[in-house]
Amino acid sequence: MSIKIVKQGVLTTLQDGGRNGFRSMGIGAGGAMDIFAMAVSNFLAGNYEAAAVLEINFPGPEILFQQNAIICLAGADLSASANNDPLPLWRPFFVKKDSVLQFKKPVHGARTYLAVQGGWQSEKWLGSYSTHLQVSAGGHLGRALQKDDVIFFKEENFSLTGDKTLNWHIPYKETEKIYQPANSIRCIKSIEWNLLDEASKQNFEKNEFEITNQSDRMGYRLNGSSLLSDRSTDLISSAVDAGTIQLLPDGNLIVLMADHQTTGGYPRIASVIKADLPKLSQVRPGQKINFKAITVTEAEDALISMEQVLTEIKAGCRLNFEKYFQP
Amino acid sequence: MYGASWALQMSPKIKINESNKRYLQRILFIFITYQSSFKQLKIRFIPSNDHTISALSETALLVSFDPVIDEAVNEKVIALQQAFVADFFTGFIETVPGYSSLAVFYDAVAIRKYHPAVSSAFDFVKKHTEQLIHIPGDIAVKNEEAIINVPVYYNGDDLDEIAGRHNISVAELIRIHTEKTYRVFMIGFQPGFAYMGKLDERIATPRRSSPRTLVPAGSVGIAGFQTGIYPFASPGGWQLVGQTPLKIFDRERSSPCLLKAGDHIKFNSISKEEFEQSNEY
Repeated sequence: MSIKIVKQGVLTTLQDGGRNGFRSMGIGAGGAMDIFAMAVSNFLAGNYEAAAVLEINFPGPEILFQQNAIICLAGADLSASANNDPLPLWRPFFVKKDSVLQFKKPVHGARTYLAVQGGWQSEKWLGSYSTHLQVSAGGHLGRALQKDDVIFFKEENFSLTGDKTLNWHIPYKETEKIYQPANSIRCIKSIEWNLLDEASKQNFEKNEFEITNQSDRMGYRLNGSSLLSDRSTDLISSAVDAGTIQLLPDGNLIVLMADHQTTGGYPRIASVIKADLPKLSQVRPGQKINFKAITVTEAEDALISMEQVLTEIKAGCRLNFEKYFQP
Repeated sequence: MYGASWALQMSPKIKINESNKRYLQRILFIFITYQSSFKQLKIRFIPSNDHTISALSETALLVSFDPVIDEAVNEKVIALQQAFVADFFTGFIETVPGYSSLAVFYDAVAIRKYHPAVSSAFDFVKKHTEQLIHIPGDIAVKNEEAIINVPVYYNGDDLDEIAGRHNISVAELIRIHTEKTYRVFMIGFQPGFAYMGKLDERIATPRRSSPRTLVPAGSVGIAGFQTGIYPFASPGGWQLVGQTPLKIFDRERSSPCLLKAGDHIKFNSISKEEFEQSNEY
């Protein structure tokens, strides 16, 4: 049971929910940029949330299916097709042996997740399948997928019986809760918020910031009115987190993303809430966002709501799989 | 310490109430640590009124002490880190030491689920942290670790510049760098990168004005009063004094990191031949 990469894409990596417990060694959590799409693609493919998925950017890879498979795509719309038949997002799909999966053009969003029934087989390092590029560990040989790579997936847990149509999907209103309004990013004030001068504090919420081309899995560099700090901003190194918004010496901002360093020396003025990181990871360079400061309790509530949405989707998917397939 | 709570529940002779439970857990932890390590232990109190606790994110808080690079301040950080190992809570994930701060990462959803009455997970973890710092029996364990010996072949590209800057010979620079025992203050920047210090002021040197685009793995460098080792080849601005043959970070080891915050190390100068014979990179 395997696929073969016919054409290489830009940074196609195996990811899961990331690894915890090693930050004090300088090893960050990593994992999928869009945790929501990663988890939902797994649920819809009949997996648990912890199975490895492929994180696909545009230009995407061309993937040859060497066996039949049940797959699901979730996240960005990159005009996916199997043998030129359009593949919808957010629903399970049956692909036949010898089908070729392609991504033709980016419609919205930045990255999409490909889950397969049974899960992709890959290396687990420190408890996670996520690819750690610097250490060359986890995922497929610790690196991005290249032409001619063969990735195996496990035998199906479900055998196909009767009707092969997989006719369930995630309604738009469910994903809308996570991804809309697309340019409004909620955050909480963080450790060095009070280093900002009064005008900059107001500008932070009032102004728009553009995601620049210098944006990757480590961080998003933003372009906007530069913010000023009241005091010297040379700090001694201390921990940071995914979502931490740092103020750079030139007054610009950087938002730390999944593959960020574990510590840093720039002022941490705010932190994008965990429930809005999926949304932010689907914003593309050139697009603009604005920040909205909320309280820590509100941020926790938003995270709890996202977990509830995921729990409901998980339960619904299990039920559907049990109905359509003999275990 | 799962072991500690389990042992407390199983022992009928110890009468447990809330006030002494925490204390007993610590004693047990010390006992277990002592049993397992056979290292000399020093028990200290964490001073309690010189810290702030604030939210780093909604799933991590930061305990900040005096923002200085100082052994005594970092000892508080490590003592608090060890207190969390002995006495963690449901939803606890991990701690990350900085020079003068400790980040506590937690699962906010789990905490809110198990403690529905709390106003926020942040308040819950803050309270727990304050208790670790304040309550009687406020003790933490410090292992008097052996000093880790790090061999260095002093062939760094910046030796002449640093020596010239301080008006000393390269031999003198190497002597001063190898003389002192350094504390590992924290790990960060790269997997396994240890920030160590403090350097003797006779060799403390600011970062290079323009960082190198590629510093080889194993390079030993100086930045201000800090010294450190690059586990991976990467861009970097530290002044390079030499190269260690030791693999500071090895993904194949069960504990990939050779050094951790709170460790003590000493450099020793080796020859080119010794370096080449023992080079693990």
